[in-house]
Order: sequence, then C-alpha cells, then structure tokens
Amino acid sequence: MEAFAGGMALLLDPYILFVVVAGTVIGIIVGALPGISGSTTTALLLPFTITMGPVPAIAFLGSIYCAANFGGSITAILVNSPGDPSASATAFDGYPMAQKGEAGRALGMSAVASAIGGIFSVIVLIIAAPLLARVAYSFGPPEYFALAVFGLSMVAMTGGDSAVKNLIAGAFGVLLATVGQDLTTGVERYTFGIHSFTDGIEFIPVLIGLFALTELLEQASQLGSRTVAARLGAVRLPTWQDMRQCAKAISLSSVIGTFIGILPALGATTAAMIAYVETRRWSKNKDQFGKGAIEGVAGPEAANNAAVGGAMVPTLALGIPGSTTTAIILAGMIVQGVRPGPHLFTEQPLLLYAVFSSMLLANLLYLVLGLGFAKVFARISLVPAPLLWPAVFVLSVIGAYAPNQAMAEVWVAIAFGFIGFFMRRFGFSPAPLVIGLVLGKMVEETLKQSLLIFDLSWGGFLGRPIAMTLFGITVLFLLGPYLINLIRRRSARALP
Amino acid sequence: MVSANRLAAGVVVVIAAGLFALTFGFEKMPEGITRGFGAEAFPRLVLGTIIVLACLLAVPSPVSEPAQPRIPKMVYFSSAALVAFMALVPVIGMLPAMLLFLVGLGYLWGERRHWVLLSSAILLTAAIWAVFVKGFGVQLPKGLF
Repeated sequence: MEAFAGGMALLLDPYILFVVVAGTVIGIIVGALPGISGSTTTALLLPFTITMGPVPAIAFLGSIYCAANFGGSITAILVNSPGDPSASATAFDGYPMAQKGEAGRALGMSAVASAIGGIFSVIVLIIAAPLLARVAYSFGPPEYFALAVFGLSMVAMTGGDSAVKNLIAGAFGVLLATVGQDLTTGVERYTFGIHSFTDGIEFIPVLIGLFALTELLEQASQLGSRTVAARLGAVRLPTWQDMRQCAKAISLSSVIGTFIGILPALGATTAAMIAYVETRRWSKNKDQFGKGAIEGVAGPEAANNAAVGGAMVPTLALGIPGSTTTAIILAGMIVQGVRPGPHLFTEQPLLLYAVFSSMLLANLLYLVLGLGFAKVFARISLVPAPLLWPAVFVLSVIGAYAPNQAMAEVWVAIAFGFIGFFMRRFGFSPAPLVIGLVLGKMVEETLKQSLLIFDLSWGGFLGRPIAMTLFGITVLFLLGPYLINLIRRRSARALP
Repeated sequence: MVSANRLAAGVVVVIAAGLFALTFGFEKMPEGITRGFGAEAFPRLVLGTIIVLACLLAVPSPVSEPAQPRIPKMVYFSSAALVAFMALVPVIGMLPAMLLFLVGLGYLWGERRHWVLLSSAILLTAAIWAVFVKGFGVQLPKGLF
C-alpha cells in the first residue's frame, strides 16, 4: 500500500504528469489514424524514451497503449475503418450507429466503456501481478524455460492466417535473438562481420521496421481507397438508460478482456472479437447486432481496453509479454536496463506502482479527452496518406538512427520493413517474430542453466512438476484445436 | 501451380538450412568452456524446429488457399524511394534527403497541392532539426557538401 501511495505521489511530479498526458493524447491520435496501431506507435516512439529514465518512459509507453485502443474506436465509428486493429469489432455496430446519426452517442459509450474496462483491468493488475510474482519468485531456470516456451506457444494464436506460420515466425524471432556474441562462450553467431551485430540485433530498428515501415509498404499497396466519414454531432455521455442496457455487456467484456489479456501473446483484438460474440450471445436484442446496437459498441470497447491491464500482468510479473504492444514495452524496459519479473516487486516497487498509477490516470484522461475533443481527433484522423506516411518514414529513420547515431541501424529497419511486408503477403504476422525476439534470450539462457542443473539430461525436467505442468498446458494449447477438429470430423462422418 | 503455403514452406526450409549450415562455421571452443552446450547447439535446436514446422506448413490444407494478389506497382516505386533516400543521405545529408523524400513520396502517392506538400515537408524537417539536432544534440549525417 505504501508503494502504491508512493507511485500515486509520483504523478504529482509535473514531468511524469506531462509524459502521461502527452502519451494519452498521442495514443488517441495515432489510435484514430487508420494504419497506425498502438504497437506501431510504441515501436516508433520507443527510441524517444531512451533519455527519459525508466519511470517516465514506461508511463509514456503505457499511456499510449491505454489510449490507442480507445482512439481506434473513433475512426471505427466514423469511417468504418478501425484506426487500431483492436477496434475492428467496434465498427460492426458503431458505424451503423453513425450512419443513423448516432455517432456522438456511440463515441460517448465507447469512451465510458473503454474507461470502465481499462480501470477494471488496472485494478486486477494491481492485485494479480504481485500475487503472480510471489508464485513465480520460487521459480528456477527450468520453470522459467517452461514458462517462456508456453509464452512462445501462445503466439500460435496471434494474427497471421495459421498457427504453424505464427510458430515459424516466433521461432525466427528466437533465432534472431541469438545473433551476436554467445554469453557463455563468447563465440560470435550470425554477425557476418558486421561490428554492430556483435552485441546482438538492436530491438528498436527491428521493431520500427516490422511495424512502421511494413505498414508504409502495406499502405502503398492500398492507395486510392477513399473513406467516407459520417457526420459527428456533439459527443455526449451515455444516458442512464444506455448504461443500464449496456451494464451486462460492459461487466462481462471487462472480465473477458482482462482474462484474455493475461494469457501470454493474446491481446486486445482477440479480446474484442470474443467479447463481441459473447455480448451478442447474452443480449436480449440479438437481432439488433450489426445494425447499430449500442451494446455492440460497449462490449468490444470494454474488452479491448481491459486487455491492456491484463496483458501487463504477465509482462511485469513474469517478463512474458501479454501482447505485441507489451512485447515492445518489454523491449523498452530492457533498453532502460529494467528486466521485468518477480524480483521487480521487491527491488523496484515504486517503478511498478508508478506504472500502475499512470495507467489509471491515462484511463481517466482519455475519458475526459474523448468526450471533450473527439471532433478534433476525428479531424486529425483524416490526414491524407500522401502526407502522413512519408512523415512516418522520416520519423522511423530518425528513430532508428538516433539511439546509436548509426546509419547501419536505419538499414536494419528498412530491411525488416521489407521482411515484414513479405511476411504479411504470405500470411505470416510480424507480431510472433517480435515476441520471439523479446523472449529469445530468456529461452536460451534458462535452457542452458536448466541443462547444467540436470547434468545435460533433458530427463531432469521430469522431476520439476511446475515445469511439467506448463509443458503439459503448452502441448494442450498447441494440439487442442487440432484434436477438437479431428473429433468433430470423426463424429460428423459417423452421423448417418 | 505451387500453392503459396508450399512456396513459403520451401523458402523457410532453404533459409533455415542455410542458417543451419552456417552454425558449422561458428568458432569451436573447448568442452570446459562450452560445458556440453556449445554456441551452435541452441540455434540448431531452433532451426530444427523451424524445419519441422515448415514441413507441416507444406502439408496440403483441406481449405483452399486464397489467390495471392499481385503486388501493386506503387509498392515497388515506394520501395525504390526508400532505397533512393538511403543512397542520397551520404551525398546530400540527412535533412535535405528527408525534405526531398517527403515531397517526392507525397507527390508519388498523389498529393498535387504543391504548397501543402512543400510547407508540410519544410515544417517537419525543421521540427526534426529543432528537436533532435538542437534539442538532443544528435549528429545527423551531413553529406559531401
């Protein structure tokens, strides 16, 4: 409690307060810009946090993460083009509402539901993260190895068009983490004589390339598509009747979003989609869904913002990213010299609670900003692509160059821009690659340490019940969908 | 015609096999240092996993794959613009290259309001100079002149 009070007190620091407000405003704006997601923005702005110090840097990135999901709903509702992928489900009913002249009502509900979902998940984060960390405190290298493998297996369910492709991308990410000097032997691996690769591939240019530059090329392939914005009247707070109608959707979706967020690698987009389906399932107005049901806006918005706090639970407590954006935030923490995990709760509680309280503040701020300035944000979101994307490239270049002042890093970013573009063309999502890259070092180190403990015998894992349970869950997650399909097909064949 | 998944699987196997072959070129260290787990062991384990997964990807799916849309010409032009920017930086310096890139790509992507293009490019370049060069003291490549 003392640490939490300390964290809250940090918000009185004008610099931290400025950083949280700036992160929230930037988050809403970029969330509203079609094509620029929260993960693209955190990747793009990561280099600018290097000079900030750990607390403001993480508070800044966390605020962007919180606000971008809400920002995405602005364009989802007004132009049927979600600014952030997590707002895709919001467009199903938000845009029909806007077409009926209810854009202000939809945006008001989106802001309130987002804030409730977000605040709920931060409260869960404050309670669950220390508990999880306490459990993980007794983990040794074998348990951490099993946990990292579990985290990697979850990438099977992120983006992309097949689980196998996601796993391949994740494995390439792990391989990318092996570039540079091997910590045990000092042997250089895959450096190709390039001096800057000796210490490993830098996160920042890879992230900028995979997210910002890949998206630039993707936008180049979609030029010419025009969006028609619905008229936006005044954004207003939901009425008491709207709140009563959506109470079940918001509470159910907040729980769903937080739970899905906690699962490693699954993020806000999955949470919003599942919440939409569940909101419709439990609604009395099922037939209104897709035609402008306000519950269809409230559910996904509560869920995608609840997933943010949820995703921070494994990220902070275990060092396993809960989503693509938290993988980038994790990279940001590593760049700052902070390695998330259970020890953080004893060694740097103030940092953690500063992050918690800044996330709480960001959730309240975008509620106020969303209700007050939605019209302004909506106008910014209509910046034409020929002005926006060249500017994104220029910022990417400076972001990749500035940390080490090396053009080689810009080349790396551009190379990963092309790699990401071709990955997407073939149905591979770049997100698993990032998660693999962030987890790669942990996987290798903990495997090596485990094998040393077990005298190089893989059978040693059999004597570690927690590790074996995690391996079991991993196998279940990987094979479960295939087994269910197989059983379904068999029973369908058995039917007359 | 080869399916996109099989093509992707083939490319993945070729890359993984190439990277696997490279592990044989890693410096050899005495057993006392490697403690039975050399620098090549982990990459080989990961690459082996990738090859197995690529084989799974090559297995024909019962669901038909959507046809691969062609890459629009604009992607090639934009890619060429990125490479041209990189080639220009050592010659004219980063800030002028940025200014040219902002105007050039904006024009290529269809912006025809010259004053909008030019003023937004000058504003952004000036902002980068003010924040990074003057504010953070970042030394940008200056070019030959």
